[in-house]
Amino acid sequence: MSRNNAVLHLAVVGHTNTGKTSLLRTLTRNPEFGEVRDGPGTTRHVEGAQLLVDDIPLVQLYDTPGMEDGVALLDYIDQLIQPGQRPDGPERIQRFLDSPESGRRFEQEARVLNKLLTCDAGLYVVDVRDPVLSKHKDELAVLADCGHPLLPVLNFTSDPRARTAAWREALARLGLHAIVEFDTIAPALDGELQLYDKLALLMDTHKELLGVLKQDIVEQRALRRHDARHTIADMLIDIAALRMSSPPDPESLENTTQSLRQHVRQRENRCVQTLLKRYNFTRKDFPNHALPLEGERWGMDLFNPQALQDMGIHLGKGMAAGAMAGATLDAFTAGISLGTATLVGAAVGGLWQGADKWGKRLMGRIKGEQEISVDDAVLRLLAVRQLDLLQALDRRGHAAQAPITLGDAAGGETNDDAAPLTRWRKGKLPDELAEARRRTSWSSMSPDYAPGARREHAVRELAARLE
Amino acid sequence: MSHDRASPDSTSAPAATLTTHWLAETLRLREAQWGHLEDARENMLARVQGRTYTQKVLLRAQALGRREGLDDLLASLQHNARIALFILVALATLAGILASAAALGDGARSVNVWPALLAMLGLNAVAFALWLLSFCIRGDRQGTWLSDAWLWLTRKLAKGPDAMLAPRALIELLGRSASQRWLLGAVSHGLWAVALASMSIALLVILSAKRYSFSWETTLLSPDTFVRLTNLLGWLPAKLGFPVPSDTVIRASDGLQTLSAQAQATWSGWLLGCVIVYGLTPRVIALAVSLYVGRRRLARLAIDSALPGFAELRTRLTPTSEIAGVDKPADPDRAVPHPGTHRGGAIPHDDAILVGVELPESAAWPPPGLPGRLINMGVLDSRAQRRALLERLHLRPVKHMLILYDANQTPDRGALRLIADLNGMAQQVHAAPLDQSDGAPAQRQADWASKLKASGLDDARIHATLQDALTSLRPALQDAPAHGETP
Repeated sequence: MSRNNAVLHLAVVGHTNTGKTSLLRTLTRNPEFGEVRDGPGTTRHVEGAQLLVDDIPLVQLYDTPGMEDGVALLDYIDQLIQPGQRPDGPERIQRFLDSPESGRRFEQEARVLNKLLTCDAGLYVVDVRDPVLSKHKDELAVLADCGHPLLPVLNFTSDPRARTAAWREALARLGLHAIVEFDTIAPALDGELQLYDKLALLMDTHKELLGVLKQDIVEQRALRRHDARHTIADMLIDIAALRMSSPPDPESLENTTQSLRQHVRQRENRCVQTLLKRYNFTRKDFPNHALPLEGERWGMDLFNPQALQDMGIHLGKGMAAGAMAGATLDAFTAGISLGTATLVGAAVGGLWQGADKWGKRLMGRIKGEQEISVDDAVLRLLAVRQLDLLQALDRRGHAAQAPITLGDAAGGETNDDAAPLTRWRKGKLPDELAEARRRTSWSSMSPDYAPGARREHAVRELAARLE
Repeated sequence: MSHDRASPDSTSAPAATLTTHWLAETLRLREAQWGHLEDARENMLARVQGRTYTQKVLLRAQALGRREGLDDLLASLQHNARIALFILVALATLAGILASAAALGDGARSVNVWPALLAMLGLNAVAFALWLLSFCIRGDRQGTWLSDAWLWLTRKLAKGPDAMLAPRALIELLGRSASQRWLLGAVSHGLWAVALASMSIALLVILSAKRYSFSWETTLLSPDTFVRLTNLLGWLPAKLGFPVPSDTVIRASDGLQTLSAQAQATWSGWLLGCVIVYGLTPRVIALAVSLYVGRRRLARLAIDSALPGFAELRTRLTPTSEIAGVDKPADPDRAVPHPGTHRGGAIPHDDAILVGVELPESAAWPPPGLPGRLINMGVLDSRAQRRALLERLHLRPVKHMLILYDANQTPDRGALRLIADLNGMAQQVHAAPLDQSDGAPAQRQADWASKLKASGLDDARIHATLQDALTSLRPALQDAPAHGETP
């Protein structure tokens, strides 16, 4: 239990409806925490959450009810003090907590002060869209009486109605100079780090702990991005390798096309689901969307040079494997059949490989079947959309309630200066996808799905390109 | 790639053996293909017992594998593999014995040393050369021929979906750690080594127990060639103590002359030396190298959280946060202040006053276009301002009051209580939002209206706009005497 001493206790306090619970949601990356609603007094009790690093709690955060009646509260506390007495801040608060009104009119405020008294510091959340009023100053005076450092956290700074400068000035006049801007809906990429940096300035004793936390945040973010890129690459390989063959009459072709689109949509959906889960969001954050996924490639590119080269490699591999098997047989027959088994093995191996990989497709070709796969444009679109979603998820706070809308990615033509996206729109498709096109067995949606080291390698390479 | 910070040698951690990794990989493939299993209990177990992410994934896999019977499946596969290996070893032993017996023949005629040597070592040499050659072929698809064949076979033979996944999982796992070629190589080198060892022993036994004569035959080559070749091949075994026939003995062994028993013994020693040095030894060395490298690579096995199936696990097994619960249940809503009632004691004056409640400094005050009879009492913000107005109204209640509030703000208890207090100081209190360039959201406006009503204001006097309020105030303002003064 010795670790418990090292836990940093932080109370998240502030006026009502400024986004205290939202801040907790964003810091804990948990959209399920508490209840968030645009109205006063949504949170009516103190609720705790822990920030863990390697399953060890480092920071204990407490969400508190909003302060609503700061002016009257300060008035009341002043009344409690007899003329001539000069108790210090915490003593004033203690007297208030012992008073009858702390259980009635100021019950909510009493909960906040009770918690802040036992914490190491407070995060004072400000909705910078609100004007700076006496009630805010009075409640800050009461909170400051608790005798713990307060770090003002300016929320909604990206709103056009933000009065950031006025708030900074007012807080400075109250002696609060370490201030952090942190928009809980769309936090800056390094917003959390800045917050803990500022906190470390206020709390020298917890500097090390906050350093560990910061390092973990950076690592976790990198891990998430890494995992997400892999997920996207896996989907792209899956879809690029997907091939469906169809009898040549128009009706069957139409049916197969629809089925192909269906498969692609489902696969993309699965990718979206995984990304959402990895980033701790839910379907609510990115509802279903209809995809303009028109564009299929027709016909068999069985006889293009690359496919033929590929076939050559396969046949060679088969023959070599067969020869090995035959040679082993030769060994067991003590060299009596020297050579014959090896030769036969090579022939059988080559045939086997050829038939296994190409037989069905050749037969289809002979029967006049058509092979359908997705077009390059569809692959580009999928890549751009998923990268766009990834970017949105990376920047989204867990307090955000409006669903994600992807920018102009789906449109395709419009401007976007992000380099990887442009590369995906315009540049040559990566070699890994070209290779995937030739390998139906790489698609988890195809019946002869057989991933191997080579596919995994391709996914890894492709994921690196998504950087 | 491992991102685990803590060292893996925690006490409660499971041994990160090949089997546990194999189980985790099988489970991953299964979950990636058919969706996640219900795992609340197993996750909890893993989180309690494991420290690093890798440990937790392995613990979870162990628990789930036990539940789903996957561990039995893997155990039976391992058992089968062991039986297969045993059969192969037996076959290899037999093959070695047969090969040496076939190479030596029945002893009725002299043994032609060169074809005999070729029969015993030729194939081994070719296979060994192929193995060495395989290092030159593209590094990234190393050793996949045999495993491809094995996978193909298991796909054909698989009974049930899990049985198919397990071998695939093993191949993927070994491929990822790049230990595939080394482990498969170890198996093949091991079998060859067994075959060659049994061949050597059989050779020794047969040569000890039967009489053979050795010779060479040629039509095309000169005897000198055989002398040179024999010496060349015998050089290395000679270093290890195996005999080499002298030049005269070699020349005499053309099958036309009868040799001494000593010469035959030398020949058989030379043959045995060649088999051991050129056949058995390289295989044993290759086996040792393969085992060493394979084991080292296996030791590096790690859980890659980027793989589909593992990606979702990270947030569940190593969450970055956890909800801790509440201090005590919330009290029933006290947010609404008691409604103020108009005290009838003092006779209200016929004033109509205008009050702003907690308005931003930037707001234009007083709002333009107000009738002159509405007396502006200013904006209430600080404690002193509040107290001053309340005291004044206490002494001099008014008939009409218009309260303007900022509908962009949240209606908090403090503001509502102030309004309720004001409500007690006048006969008719109207409330309206201050007109602002950026209109308040409709929801916020509705919040204010309902909260004002709950604070005791008359529903009919809660207006949506300032204009509405002024319209409804107009008759009162016409009655009221004009007052120019402001406090």
